[in-house]
Amino acid sequence: MDFLRLIEETALATWVRESPSIWSFPVILLFHTFGMSLIVAVSAGIDLRILGVAPEMRLAPLEKFLPVLWIGFWLNFATGTLLLMADATMKLTNPDFYLKMAFIILSLINLRMIRKHVFRDPLIETGKFSGKARFLAWSSLFCWLVVITAGRLLAYVGQSSLYK
Amino acid sequence: MNLAHLHLLLNHFPTIGFGIGVVLFLVSLVARNLELKRASLVILFLIAVIAIPTYLTGAAAQDTLCERVNGVLKCPPDVSLVMIQKHEDWALLAFSIMEITGFVAWVGLWQMRRTSKLGVLNATAVLLLAVTAVGVMSVAANLGGDIRHPEILSPEEIAAAQSSERVPIARVIGSYVIGQTWLWPACEALHFVGLCLLFVTVLIVNLRVLGIAKSLSFTAVYQTLPLGMFGFGINLVTGMMFFLAAPQQYISNVEFHRKIILVVLAGINVLYFMLFDKAWKVKAGDDAPISSKFAALAALVLWIGILYYGNMLPFLGNAF
Repeated sequence: MDFLRLIEETALATWVRESPSIWSFPVILLFHTFGMSLIVAVSAGIDLRILGVAPEMRLAPLEKFLPVLWIGFWLNFATGTLLLMADATMKLTNPDFYLKMAFIILSLINLRMIRKHVFRDPLIETGKFSGKARFLAWSSLFCWLVVITAGRLLAYVGQSSLYK
Repeated sequence: MNLAHLHLLLNHFPTIGFGIGVVLFLVSLVARNLELKRASLVILFLIAVIAIPTYLTGAAAQDTLCERVNGVLKCPPDVSLVMIQKHEDWALLAFSIMEITGFVAWVGLWQMRRTSKLGVLNATAVLLLAVTAVGVMSVAANLGGDIRHPEILSPEEIAAAQSSERVPIARVIGSYVIGQTWLWPACEALHFVGLCLLFVTVLIVNLRVLGIAKSLSFTAVYQTLPLGMFGFGINLVTGMMFFLAAPQQYISNVEFHRKIILVVLAGINVLYFMLFDKAWKVKAGDDAPISSKFAALAALVLWIGILYYGNMLPFLGNAF
């Protein structure tokens, strides 16, 4: 706990938490939301295509959008670290936070499996996807849904010094 | 010029615009004229978009007319609060039907681009919904006129308006959203889900036009548009929950006004991709023409702007 308090009391964390500037907490949160939209939109786009949305759109070229996803990921890694530092004692003792982290890891493993089993499948151009591909698409959507919900609820569950 | 003024300006569009849209649509069905069908669907969709600020400014008009004393509205003697509340009830119903009509009309337009015809099911749904919307909207508009014009009411109507006590439906829904501790956060989480679904389309369509994944033809990425519209629908419904729960924190919030202006512009922007041939003709491997790239860039700027103003509501404005 002392270590967490130490993080929270660093100049950077204090600035994020307490600065009245629009460039601290509000803009960091804005980029965190923006990053989320990039990550989840690209991943969900691939999942929904596998599940039959936009059947005339070939799946293979959607791989070109993955760099957009990674821009979002690193953006959220950076902004997420700042938001975590600002509220370390509360977030790192909040089970909801660990739920969110666990499901981010599951989502990324899921994405890796989709790349391996769907994008590397020689039958990808036929547009017919196996039961395994469809399962991976559903589980990816589910994992992101948990991440979004758990993330939003971080503002409500546990006693956060930022929102109260 | 204030929001009440804006409401008085905008409130003519839904009634008259939908009326014109329905008549044109009927003529187009009888004459089997494809272009006229397309034009009337565009009118119905755009009026449904304009209905959003029309409804939202209504709450501001009420607060301009009547004063809020300890949370209770006190209106001047020539303004009937009961009439305002009746108007609000019918307006909320009319607004809901108009948004559904706008959505179905938009789906019809989306289909027409691909198949060059309008399905019977879609045409029937648009017609029934639009006629209902015009009817309900007329009642709402008529009641709206009664608020400030007691000269058009009979003494009995005035007496009835002054005697009855009522709670508007909008307040019932709003109190419910506030009253259930889980409902506001759930709507927020859903608002993010809707945002992500909307961005699937916003990113795939606009980034393709700008040059990422050129091996996709425009007609292929065009298929994702209804998904984006579905995401927008989720956010319109969840957004309305927030507004009905706490209208005061939005009508007095400049960031919210700017957000809604951008939503209207984004509604106009999407029509570029549905009506014009420039983007439509972009084949697999083609570079999109500069005008399409401009429209795609505008779309990205608009949606990022909407995200920005939404995020800033509690920081620059006063929302919680």
